[in-house]
Amino acid sequence: MTIIEFMLAPLIACILLILINVYFGIHVLKREIIFIDIALAQIAAFGTTIAVVIHHLFHQAQEHGHEHAEDTFLAYILALSFITISALVFSFLKNRKISIPLEAIIGISYAFATTAAVIILDKAAGSDVHIHDMLIGSILWVSWHQVVRLAIIVALVALIHYIFRNRFMQLSDNYHNKDCKMENSFLWDFLFYLTFGIIIIEAVNITGILTVFAFLILPASFSALFSKSWKNRIIIGAILGSVISAFGLYFSWKIDVPVAPLIIIGLGLFLLIGAMYKKLILSRK
Amino acid sequence: MIDNLIFLGPAITACVLLAGILSYFGNHILTRGIIFIDIAIAQIAALGTMVGLLLGFAEESFGVQAISYGFTIVVISFFAIIRTKKFEISQEAIIGVIYCVALGLALLFAEMIPGGSNYITKTISGNILWVTWKQVLFTLIVIGIVGLVHIIWAKKFISISENIRDKKAEENSRFMELIFFVTFGFVIVKAVHIQGIFLVFILLIAPAATVRLFTDNWKLRFIWSWVIGFVGSVVGIYISYQYNVSNGPAIVCLLSTVVFLAAFYKAFTRVIQKKQLASKVLNNTKSI
Repeated sequence: MTIIEFMLAPLIACILLILINVYFGIHVLKREIIFIDIALAQIAAFGTTIAVVIHHLFHQAQEHGHEHAEDTFLAYILALSFITISALVFSFLKNRKISIPLEAIIGISYAFATTAAVIILDKAAGSDVHIHDMLIGSILWVSWHQVVRLAIIVALVALIHYIFRNRFMQLSDNYHNKDCKMENSFLWDFLFYLTFGIIIIEAVNITGILTVFAFLILPASFSALFSKSWKNRIIIGAILGSVISAFGLYFSWKIDVPVAPLIIIGLGLFLLIGAMYKKLILSRK
Repeated sequence: MIDNLIFLGPAITACVLLAGILSYFGNHILTRGIIFIDIAIAQIAALGTMVGLLLGFAEESFGVQAISYGFTIVVISFFAIIRTKKFEISQEAIIGVIYCVALGLALLFAEMIPGGSNYITKTISGNILWVTWKQVLFTLIVIGIVGLVHIIWAKKFISISENIRDKKAEENSRFMELIFFVTFGFVIVKAVHIQGIFLVFILLIAPAATVRLFTDNWKLRFIWSWVIGFVGSVVGIYISYQYNVSNGPAIVCLLSTVVFLAAFYKAFTRVIQKKQLASKVLNNTKSI
């Protein structure tokens, strides 16, 4: 009984994240901007870093404690504004306008955000960047409060994407097609990156970058092997992701290893099996 | 002044060499659209090191290094040989999967090695100022061998990279792919050891991306990306020296700012050209 009580909140958080990330994963695979989630997470972290520095500069003489809520609010606002700026940049510097892939711009933003944070912390606060903490996170310690907050945000983003699903899908399906021109594509692109960034901020707080990255890429790749329709791919990916997460949580509790690597390796294993199965069928035909 | 030059000598020489080879590979990587491959390779090399430690070899010993290189070459060969065209998944997605699973395994192993989590982030830092003449010489030898291979088959490599998205392109280029990626893997592992992952990443992508904005010509791309990479590194080292910031991050921020400026310039001029064109058309239709 205790394991169910203990694991229920993490499991629900995992399922929520998988549902929304499989959907975004299909978009990301189609656009070939695989590492966008790591880049956005790092950009959000850059915003948080600046909040830390501001805190350091203005509250140095004061006692800690009572202004904590204000600080997390400031950190969130800064993270969100950096996400908004990068969403604008990514929408503006689309492949079509310039001759380098957007993934290169994303990669450069990632490197810039990481190293700029290092420089700022080095100069102002004199502490280190907690890259390691951000990588792994700790889904096991997620609180019900966080789960509810996550559920609300996921529901809102999902609603926006459900209402305008045709727009978003059309945009990603024709992303590399130079002949196809959509009206207001800049605006839809911007909305896509912004909503994605909002999810990333929440998700990274709960599970860490790496698990989010795994949820994003692995189930969506697996589903790409077996279906082309958006609906089927979301269903396949969501089922695979949820089942593996449940097993990962269970075994993490049972044999006392960190949960994130278990889920990632499980998903990776299934992707490998799926690819081999597909390959065998293809070669027979 | 002379003292400074002697002190900075190995670092600047290493920058010239590495900027050269990395920007060369960067042009290929950019054309193929597999931007994050070097981060994946560095992660696999780190995983190899951890496996070596788990097997009981001493840190920095020959055994550990051999396993690390061996691991890298096995995975990169696998990557070079598999054909992704049949599936709906792009090469960059495969890189994402490899990176993710390698990092996941590394996190698992980190629990089993005392102080294991240090090895995960070890590749992130790196300081070019600590490079020794011995390392520079060794780098020169590696680059010489790799460079020779790439000069011999330069045209072949370029044609493969250009046609990587073309589904009809020849299927019998697997051997060349293998050579390309194995040499690339060697250079990356070596370079990350000296410069750290972010500096290598940015030297690969940023100069090549900047030049790609302005020209399609491979020869010009190779030459100018080397120049940009080299000048960027030296100016970055100078800035870091003057303002007392770490040199790696200084170079990375400098070179990425250059790309953003160039990209925005290019994108804005396109938009303006388009508007002018549109107004011309409008005027013409009005006058008609």
